[in-house]
Amino acid sequence: MSPAVRTGISAGLLAVVVVLLFGNLSGVVLGLLAGAGAAILLDSRVEWPNRNAAIVGGATAGAVAGLLILVGQFIHDLFLMPLAGQPVATAPGSTLQAGLIAVVLAALAGAAVGAIVTQAERPRQLGLLGLLVAFVILFPFLDQQIQLGWTPTVISVLIYVVLALGLNIVVGYAGLLDLGYAAFFAIGAYTTGLLLSPQIGINWDHPLSFWLVIWIAAAVAGLFGLILGAPTLPLRGDYLAIVTLGFGEIVPIVFRNLTRVEIKEPFTGTCLIGCDKAINLTGGEAGINPISHPWLPLVGQFRTGQDLPWYFLIVAIIALTIFLISRLRNSRLGRAWTAMREDELAASSMGIDIVRTKLLAFAMGATFSGFGGAFFASYISAIFPGVFDFSVSVIILCMVILGGLGNITGVILGGLIIMMSDRLFLPQLATLVKNILNTSVLPTIADPAMKDFVATSVDPSQFRLLLFGLTLVIMMLVRPEGLIPNVRRRAEFHEAEAGAEATVATEAKAPAK
Amino acid sequence: MATTSPTVRTGSALPRWARNLALTLLILYIVLLVGPIAGLDAPRIWQSIAAEPKTLVQVALVGLANGSIIAIIALGYTLVYGIIELINFAHADVFMLTAFMSLTVLGAIGVDQKSSSGQIFVGVLVALVVAVLFGALLNASIERLAYRRLRNAPRLAPLISAIGVSFILQNLGLFWGGLRIIFPVMGVNAAAPKTFPQLLPEGILFQDGPIIFRQKDLIIILASVAFMIALRLFVQYTRLGKAMRATAQNRDAAKIMGINVDTVIAFTFLLGGGLAGVAGLLVGLYNGTIVFNMGLTAGLRAFTAAVLGGIGNITGAMLGGFLIGLLAAFSDVYFSSRWTNAWVFAILVVILIFRPLGLLGEAGGEKA
Amino acid sequence: MLELRDVQTYYGNIQALKGISLKVNQGEVVTLIGSNGAGKTTTLRTIQGLNRPRYGTILFEGKALETLPTDTIVRLGISQSPEGRLVFPRMTVRENLEMGAFSRSDKEGIAQDMERALNLFPRLRERLAQKAGTLSGGEQQMLAIGRALMARPRLLLLDEPSMGLAPMLVEQIFQTVIEINEQGTTVLLVEQNARMALAVADRGYVLQTGRIVLEDTGPNLLRSETVRKAYLGEH
Repeated sequence: MSPAVRTGISAGLLAVVVVLLFGNLSGVVLGLLAGAGAAILLDSRVEWPNRNAAIVGGATAGAVAGLLILVGQFIHDLFLMPLAGQPVATAPGSTLQAGLIAVVLAALAGAAVGAIVTQAERPRQLGLLGLLVAFVILFPFLDQQIQLGWTPTVISVLIYVVLALGLNIVVGYAGLLDLGYAAFFAIGAYTTGLLLSPQIGINWDHPLSFWLVIWIAAAVAGLFGLILGAPTLPLRGDYLAIVTLGFGEIVPIVFRNLTRVEIKEPFTGTCLIGCDKAINLTGGEAGINPISHPWLPLVGQFRTGQDLPWYFLIVAIIALTIFLISRLRNSRLGRAWTAMREDELAASSMGIDIVRTKLLAFAMGATFSGFGGAFFASYISAIFPGVFDFSVSVIILCMVILGGLGNITGVILGGLIIMMSDRLFLPQLATLVKNILNTSVLPTIADPAMKDFVATSVDPSQFRLLLFGLTLVIMMLVRPEGLIPNVRRRAEFHEAEAGAEATVATEAKAPAK
Repeated sequence: MATTSPTVRTGSALPRWARNLALTLLILYIVLLVGPIAGLDAPRIWQSIAAEPKTLVQVALVGLANGSIIAIIALGYTLVYGIIELINFAHADVFMLTAFMSLTVLGAIGVDQKSSSGQIFVGVLVALVVAVLFGALLNASIERLAYRRLRNAPRLAPLISAIGVSFILQNLGLFWGGLRIIFPVMGVNAAAPKTFPQLLPEGILFQDGPIIFRQKDLIIILASVAFMIALRLFVQYTRLGKAMRATAQNRDAAKIMGINVDTVIAFTFLLGGGLAGVAGLLVGLYNGTIVFNMGLTAGLRAFTAAVLGGIGNITGAMLGGFLIGLLAAFSDVYFSSRWTNAWVFAILVVILIFRPLGLLGEAGGEKA
Repeated sequence: MLELRDVQTYYGNIQALKGISLKVNQGEVVTLIGSNGAGKTTTLRTIQGLNRPRYGTILFEGKALETLPTDTIVRLGISQSPEGRLVFPRMTVRENLEMGAFSRSDKEGIAQDMERALNLFPRLRERLAQKAGTLSGGEQQMLAIGRALMARPRLLLLDEPSMGLAPMLVEQIFQTVIEINEQGTTVLLVEQNARMALAVADRGYVLQTGRIVLEDTGPNLLRSETVRKAYLGEH
């Protein structure tokens, strides 16, 4: 089997899973992605003699992926949907039509990538980047056109990608295991909420208020990064993790309970804050709402339900984040982080101020979380403490670890995989399973208790925790450096193993010289 | 670079002890200033105690009873940390699952309030044995599957793996709680707390106003203390216990003695898991409800207790358990129960910063 | 009794032993000398199973050791007083000695060996109930050797027993090594103090950056020009 066909199958299989869940409209989007993905994968495995070969190869891989998508669409329309009690109204002919569109798009995408990767280095990078940018920009329009309805979810996913990029600074670059990262997210969100809602009477109404508040929120989060990072300075890895975990626990408790704030000077009894009436700072369990939206000239006020402005805003935030983080990584500070991560003692004896380096890692990481929190607060227009609990911190950690510690592309990829699975695929799977159960399975069960059990327990979304936990464990056991590893990191992880093998394993010995 | 020279650095007018004192006073002041929000309203608390001193005694009794259970869980943390320097994040979730197991066994046997004393006794005994075995095997399996291969990996890998295991176990607990079809005792909703049958005798042993000391309080404290003493004796005097201590003090030297370190580590996890089983049953019997995410709070308190006493130190874990139990009870009544977790955690941070070895710990971590 | 053939041990990617071949015959005292970092401790650790050789063979009384775990190797009859003594600091002297006999189950034999060890090191007898971490350097060294003897080894590995000890103690320790050997235990001794080591050894090997560069009887090595210049501090 030629490599083109093989990579086509790999990419196609992944795409098929999504098509099975969502139906033939998703095939269009996935066709493009799968085609391009197959061709990129192919490029990493094959040396092309000339451009035409690359184009043909890419097109082939894309076409194969597209064909698989076509098959998936048929399975979905003709088999799954009736099982789920939702027979598809359209005729098989239109399924075929949609499938062929997917094949064509996939082949084109593959060919385009094939054409680009055979260029010299610079045009190649620009070309791939251009494709990516084109896709990102066109996506919401495409989504609207085929009415897939993915855009709102994608916006939420991208918020968490920002968070993952921020956590990557702390865990990936500086090597500090922060288990309470959601705290900074919460701080950014609550700062925004306090400034842009009537909660404590500010409700800053100026058209440009959001654009200032987002920076304030980031700064406040960064400040708390310093404050919460400071106590961890003398601590070793695992203790640092526990303390950050604790902070991650405390912050939601604080937000949950600051409903009657009154501060009196302890010795004189004079009241300082909340004298007439105790301040309800955070709205307790119910949280803060409504939170106002951004405003732009030409665009007007952002509204809930009109996704386009929000989408482009979060994309812009991500672009800014990537830019800033790349600059950080390549700066002196970035190198200091790497040195500190590899060997703290050696780094400090080379003149690196460990205190400053660690604090800056926390502060920088927290700042990006602040951006994310601000966007989140305004986008959802309401925030409450339950959103920021420990599992959020762990999920973000999952994203960073899956993608590859210290690698921006990896983290984004890991973030997309985890969050898309959690927010888009898993719920859709749950709905599909529920429908199939209701239509095809439950009626066949006689025993009411068993029926009830199956109805409530066979629910994929109840296994979220299991999936995240498994991801962490399996990644640590099998591929701790992540999906797209940083070369240095891979060496770090596996060198430790090599030393261990020499000590522990009872391996067959090589023949003596 | 520490300056130990007698010369005073420019820009630093105060000697070191004065700076530390000033910092401590500043922190204390901030605590007093902001504390009332979290329930630490000193004058109100003082008045409350002065008005009803007997309530304080009752709080202490409740604290001791709950603290004894925390101590048992803390022992699990400290044993594992002492021997492989890993914070077994999943320990508290093993505890949670053993509580579920206990409930399942009791439900399966059919023991409840209405059974005779003899039946209850046998039922509890059976549940105890099953819970201990289950906890031990579960914990040891986790070590074998999720931690052993990572023993030589960078420090953070086993910790992250432990977090993953914790999540998996929580989901297991959630699923278990939904198995009403097999275990009717689980009740209607998978995520909801489950009720334990009231099996402990409620007879009052001592009463004086608000102070009520019941038989069940005594039983819990005695049972916990008995297990703790048994563990202490085991570690001190038995062959395997000495092997555990040796391995914790110096792994290479232990190997040279002919100790199979892998076996000792596996056994340590067995022991820790068994203790979790005891705690799981006791918590169910004493508190009456269990829920799939109770590991988080219990784990935080137990771990703090272990650190407070000196991580790696068995006596320390026991002492720490009682102290944290007292603190939590005090906070629940006099501060605000919504903030108790925050206060426990604050203790953890304070210890780690100011006295990381804990009360009884010695440099290098101690076992006994 | 013990034979190493072309043993190569690595720490990660760094090669510490570059092909060590040596022999220890029953009843001998053999010493391995060399400067810091030459690979002496690595050699003993490799024999004991704490490090695994990537290539090469280790034969003990005909049995191959390279793939065996440390506790099995101990049971086969090799025990060690390791570099840095590594006593169990919070166990008493008595408990440390008892741990040395961990792999054995013959109570009478163990009691006998305890007596023997205490006779060899009378200072320890006074401190039986004391925590090992509170002993002086010399006492810890005695304890480490005594503890190793408690396994009733056929081959005793000693890693730098003289390290950090006052000269008078060093002489005492080496005197005891001779006694141990006369009582029937084969000894492989690794030392930086070349003079004393060669004085008690039947044969010796000189180790330099992971390779054996010289091999001869003890007295011959003591007289050799190379050794005198490099390791005995003479010009």
